[in-house]
Amino acid sequence: MFDKLFYQEKGLFLQSLHPATVLVYLNVLFVLSLLYQNPLYLLGLFFFLVLLIIEVDGMEAWSGFLKAGVSLMLIIMIINPLVIRAGATIIWHGPELPILGKLDISMEALYYGAVSSIRLLVIISIFCLYNLMINPDKVLNLFSKVAGKSVLMIALSTRMLPTMVRDLKRIKEVQQFRGVDFDEGSLWARVKKYSCLYNVLLLSSLEDSLEIAESMQARAFGSGKRSVYSRNILRPRDIICMVASFLALFAAIWGLQYGYGQYTFYPQADFLIKDRITLTTLSVVIFYLSAPIILSEGWKNCRFLKSKI
Amino acid sequence: MPLFKVENLTYYYPETEKAALRGINLEIEEGEFILVAGGSGSGKSSLARVLAGLIPDFYGGRIGGRVFFKGKDIRTMDRRKLAMEVGMVFQDPEKQMVQSYVEAEIAFGLENLGLDTEEMSRRIAEVISFMNLTSIREMFTANLSGGQQQKLALAAVLAMQPHVLILDEPTSQLDPVSAEEILNLVKRLNEEMGFTVIMIEQRLERCFHLADRVLFIERGEIVCDGKAQEKACEAIKMGLPFVPPVARFFADLNFPSVPITVKEGRKLLRSCLRGKKPTSKIQFGLCRNNVHVEDLREQNSVVSLKNVWFTYPGGQEVLKDASLDIKEGEFVAILGENGAGKSTLLKHMIGMLKPGRGKVHVLGKDISKNGYKEIRRLTAYLSQNPNDYLFQDTVEDELLFTLKNFALTDISVVDEMLEKFHLSRYRKTNPRDLSSGERQRVALASVLVTRPRLIILDEPTRGVDFRLKADLGKFLQKEAEKGSTVIVVTHDVEFAAEFAAKVAMMFSGRIVSDGEKHEVLGKSIFYSPQIGKMCMGICEGVLTFAEAQEIIFPLIEDKRTITLLRTGENA
Repeated sequence: MFDKLFYQEKGLFLQSLHPATVLVYLNVLFVLSLLYQNPLYLLGLFFFLVLLIIEVDGMEAWSGFLKAGVSLMLIIMIINPLVIRAGATIIWHGPELPILGKLDISMEALYYGAVSSIRLLVIISIFCLYNLMINPDKVLNLFSKVAGKSVLMIALSTRMLPTMVRDLKRIKEVQQFRGVDFDEGSLWARVKKYSCLYNVLLLSSLEDSLEIAESMQARAFGSGKRSVYSRNILRPRDIICMVASFLALFAAIWGLQYGYGQYTFYPQADFLIKDRITLTTLSVVIFYLSAPIILSEGWKNCRFLKSKI
Repeated sequence: MPLFKVENLTYYYPETEKAALRGINLEIEEGEFILVAGGSGSGKSSLARVLAGLIPDFYGGRIGGRVFFKGKDIRTMDRRKLAMEVGMVFQDPEKQMVQSYVEAEIAFGLENLGLDTEEMSRRIAEVISFMNLTSIREMFTANLSGGQQQKLALAAVLAMQPHVLILDEPTSQLDPVSAEEILNLVKRLNEEMGFTVIMIEQRLERCFHLADRVLFIERGEIVCDGKAQEKACEAIKMGLPFVPPVARFFADLNFPSVPITVKEGRKLLRSCLRGKKPTSKIQFGLCRNNVHVEDLREQNSVVSLKNVWFTYPGGQEVLKDASLDIKEGEFVAILGENGAGKSTLLKHMIGMLKPGRGKVHVLGKDISKNGYKEIRRLTAYLSQNPNDYLFQDTVEDELLFTLKNFALTDISVVDEMLEKFHLSRYRKTNPRDLSSGERQRVALASVLVTRPRLIILDEPTRGVDFRLKADLGKFLQKEAEKGSTVIVVTHDVEFAAEFAAKVAMMFSGRIVSDGEKHEVLGKSIFYSPQIGKMCMGICEGVLTFAEAQEIIFPLIEDKRTITLLRTGENA
């Protein structure tokens, strides 16, 4: 059921990028989503991310991520106007409440809540994109040289997790057939029943871990300094995407220095588009960020480009 | 100079007073294929671990005697150098995977050896093409089938380019087709690439003929060592059951040299039976185990599946119009390859899954609607892993746990079960301190204390030796004779042929064949026991050793025939 939310190899262009390229690119997107205040810029990023998600065939996964994010969005949109008193345009005068004080709802606070929700959507979409674009094992492999043992521990845990979930399901079935009702009894009684379940899982996992350790020892683990097998290949497409990511970041920082991308909500909301450069800066940043999408389309439709990148 | 030389080896595991290995003397030459056979806990795996350098390094304990590899004392050898020379593949493929992806798993051993990227890439490419793993190289290891995982485990060891390959029951978790694939690979490695192979196996019918030499181990000692063909007769005379059925058949007839393959057996059987017609199968086959098919038709249906369809949430259609009717007192084996839908079918029988379409009635209850709670008091279910049952402090507590949950007050059944399963002396022992065979008996006892009418077992013979398998089979037969219904899901064709009365075969979610075991297995080429394969077309309907004894022995035991044959052989 949750398989769709995680990485699946589909042979797509965006999945063929070097993990370092993907990390740089997604980090640029993440930094921009935090730096930008202007709702137009955040909306621009959001629609751009939708394009990227379509490009990695991830709409189904994205809808799963959004479902989880919608409740958070609603909370932000409701709480913000209730607690923020900085807005000048009051649209509803509410009663006096014990802790919150006078409940006046301002349009600016509502606006800020809505923009924060868009930011949240953008961040959720970036995480979704990470899951769709990058094989977690390749990311671990990237850090093997600097943190070999930690990476190995994460890899072992990743591998063990589905096994343990399956074991737990099987042990629960066994216990149910031995007369245990997990949904009956007081809370304490149910906690006790589940503790037995986890007890079996823990005992079996400890025994299994010895077998894994033995297999590791038989394959010379701990017999001396390890080397690292890198399976990641750096291609021209990675260089192009990395350069484009940095150019997008520089263009965004330049713009922010001059106020393009900044926005003031309180006491009164700023203009959305101050001048033509507001749109030009956004277009330049989006253009640079579009490098992977442009290359991906070229890779799909142009044999010449495919052979060169 | 021998590759391995073992001198007077004795070994005790930590905190034990009983030696796991006693006075072992052994020499292994380069390029040999050695099969190590013996009962559970006889010391086979301990010997393998000594040769791989894991005992005493990994396990600790007390060791006496010496083990030399290429003339050097194995204990003084550098661990990395030893791992480059001796590779070991373990029983359970899932419990030897370290990495989450296939290619990373193959690279793991090479990284441990500190090889450079170029060398690693070359070796990985080579082993992936040799083992035909290209299609799965990017896959998540947890998503692989058992056969693929064991192939990967073998590939991960082969990439380290050892000269010796030690395999500890590498096929015990696999279906017959995957097992055959692994064994063929091992044979190729030995014959074409000169690997020295030391293999421990329980299912000897699969691999006895592959070995140049067999070692029989009992109570930590080598009791028989020599060429497979020669030692088969000797082993039988010594009362050891660790010989494939074809060899046992001819050895019992006092043939001086016994065949060890079906091909040789068929040739010899044809020459023995020349001109003689064995009796019709009607006279023996259908009435074994005191169960008549006609009688069963009159009995009540205990499990009835009618046109059951089932699709998992991911969209995988696993059961397709499966129908099966199992009567009271029947012993039914369900066979089929991995992924055929056996376990899903079993989960419908115990009410853990509800069918998308169709009806499931068990013990007269419609469990397709109401689930497992209606039947569990009268149903014993033993899963593939006996460890799933063991968490109490003592064996006795495990049995009492089930009784208490069902509010049963008659605890005299505990003594009865402990006695029946030879567990009385372990009453106060922690079940996790017992051997695998004993653990299985505890798990079985813990579900049988409710005196169930229906006993369902999922792969109960995995990794179980001949003797324990026979004990289990006989016990289940007795329960069926007493009126309980027994259903076993298994890959073990020999077990099904020997002990079950009925067999159902599954393929791709369908029950493709269902009936009396002679009807189903007698017609099958691949799902037929070794004796059945030997007799196919010569003496129809014979499946088991006992049936062969009953039908063929009287015809062959004609001394003149044997004398003539011997004369012919000598000439």
